[in-house]
Amino acid sequence: MARTLLCEIVTPEHIVYTNEVEMVVVPTLDGEVGILPLHAPLVGAMRAGEVRIKFGETTEWFAASGGYIQVHEDKVIILADDAVIASQIDVERARQALVLAKERLAELEPRDEEYDDIARDLKWAEVQIAVGSAH
Amino acid sequence: MPNLRDIKNRITSTASTRQITRTMEMVATAKIRRAQDRIESARPYALAMMEVLRNVARFMQGATHPLLEEHDKRERVVVIAVASDRGLCGAFNSNILRLTEGIIRDERAAGAEVDVIAVGKKAIAYFRYRGVEPIESYRDMTDKPTIADARSMAARVMSGYASGEFDAVKVVFNRFKNVADQVPEIHDLLPLRHEVVEESADLLKVNPEYIFEPSADAVLERLLPTYIETLIYRSLLESAASEQGARRKAMKSATDNASEMITTLTRSYNRARQGAITNEIAEIVGGAAALEKH
Repeated sequence: MARTLLCEIVTPEHIVYTNEVEMVVVPTLDGEVGILPLHAPLVGAMRAGEVRIKFGETTEWFAASGGYIQVHEDKVIILADDAVIASQIDVERARQALVLAKERLAELEPRDEEYDDIARDLKWAEVQIAVGSAH
Repeated sequence: MPNLRDIKNRITSTASTRQITRTMEMVATAKIRRAQDRIESARPYALAMMEVLRNVARFMQGATHPLLEEHDKRERVVVIAVASDRGLCGAFNSNILRLTEGIIRDERAAGAEVDVIAVGKKAIAYFRYRGVEPIESYRDMTDKPTIADARSMAARVMSGYASGEFDAVKVVFNRFKNVADQVPEIHDLLPLRHEVVEESADLLKVNPEYIFEPSADAVLERLLPTYIETLIYRSLLESAASEQGARRKAMKSATDNASEMITTLTRSYNRARQGAITNEIAEIVGGAAALEKH
C-alpha cells in the first residue's frame, strides 16, 4: 500500500473531514500547492478556492474559504474559515447569497467597516458555485 | 389562625412554580450537553491554530505587527462583557457585571476611560441603566454563539486597537469548569501577550525548518486576527455552556426550596384543619351541654 498522509479539514465550528489520503491540493495566495507524503514541513496561507484530495481512484472536492495549511510529518491540517464537501454544496442557495452580496457591495464604499465581510461572503459564494457545479 | 383556604392557595401556587422550575432545570440539563459539544467541536481548530501560530511565532522576533505592539499610552480600554440574554441563572450575570464594574473603577482610577461591548440583553440593560452606553451590543445569540459573532467583535476591537483608538482590550466571561462550576474570569486580549512568541524558543530546537507560503510575515499577518477571533469565540462558547450550568443549579435549588415550602405549608394546613375540627367539636359539645341543663 502506498504511503499516505493524514488529512484534516477543520473550521472553527467543527471538523469537516479527516482521512488517510495520498495527495492534497490546496489553493494558496499565489497559486496552488500539491502535497504528497514525505512533504517538507510547511505553513501556508490559503485563499478561497477548491481543495482536492486523492486516494486510490477516488478524488474528493471541497470548497474552502480562506485559511491556513500546515504540513508536518505526513499530517496535513487545513484550517479554513468555512469548508464544505462538493456533494453537499447547495448551489442554489449560494447563487442567492451571491446576488445578495453583490447588491450589498454595490451600496458600500471600500472603506466601510462591513465591506471586507461582504466581499468575503461574495468570494465564498463564488467558490461554492464553482466547486458545486463542476462536480 | 391562618385561613384554611389561604394556605391551600399557597400550596397550589407553590406547586405550579415548582413545576416550572423543574422543567427549566431539565431543559438546562439537556442544553448543557449540546453547549459542551460545541466547545468540543471548536477545540481541534483552536489547537491546530495554536500549533501553526507557534511555528510561525519564532519568526516574530524582529517582525512587527500592530496587534503585538504595546501602546505607550493607556487612555482607553475596551471590555467585552459576556453575559446572557435571559435571567434565572443565579449569579451568572451579576458576577460578570460586578467584575466589569471593578475593571471600570480601576481603570478610571488609573486615568483611563473604559468602553464596554455588551453581550447579552442583561449586560446591555445593566450598562444602559448605569448610564454607560455600550459601543457595541450583541443580543439574541448568547445561547448559540456563532463564529460570525466572534468575527464581528474581533474586527471591531482589532481595528480600534490598530488605529490607536483603544490601548487595551479585555474580555470578561464565565469559564465552564464543569457542569456544577462556572468561574468568572478576565482575560487580556490585546495587546497580544508575547508568551505565545516566547514559548517558541524551545520549539526552535526541536522543529525542522519550515517552508512558508508565501512568507512568514504574510502568514503571521493573517494568523493573528484569526487567533483573536478564536479566543473570542471560545469565550462565547464557554459562557453559553456556563449559562446553562448556572441555570440548572439555580433551578435545582429553586425546585428543592419549593418542595420544602410545600411540606411546611401542608403541615400547617393539616394543623389548621385539625384545629378547626377540634373547635367545632368543642362548640357542639358545649352547645349540647348547655341544652342538657334545661
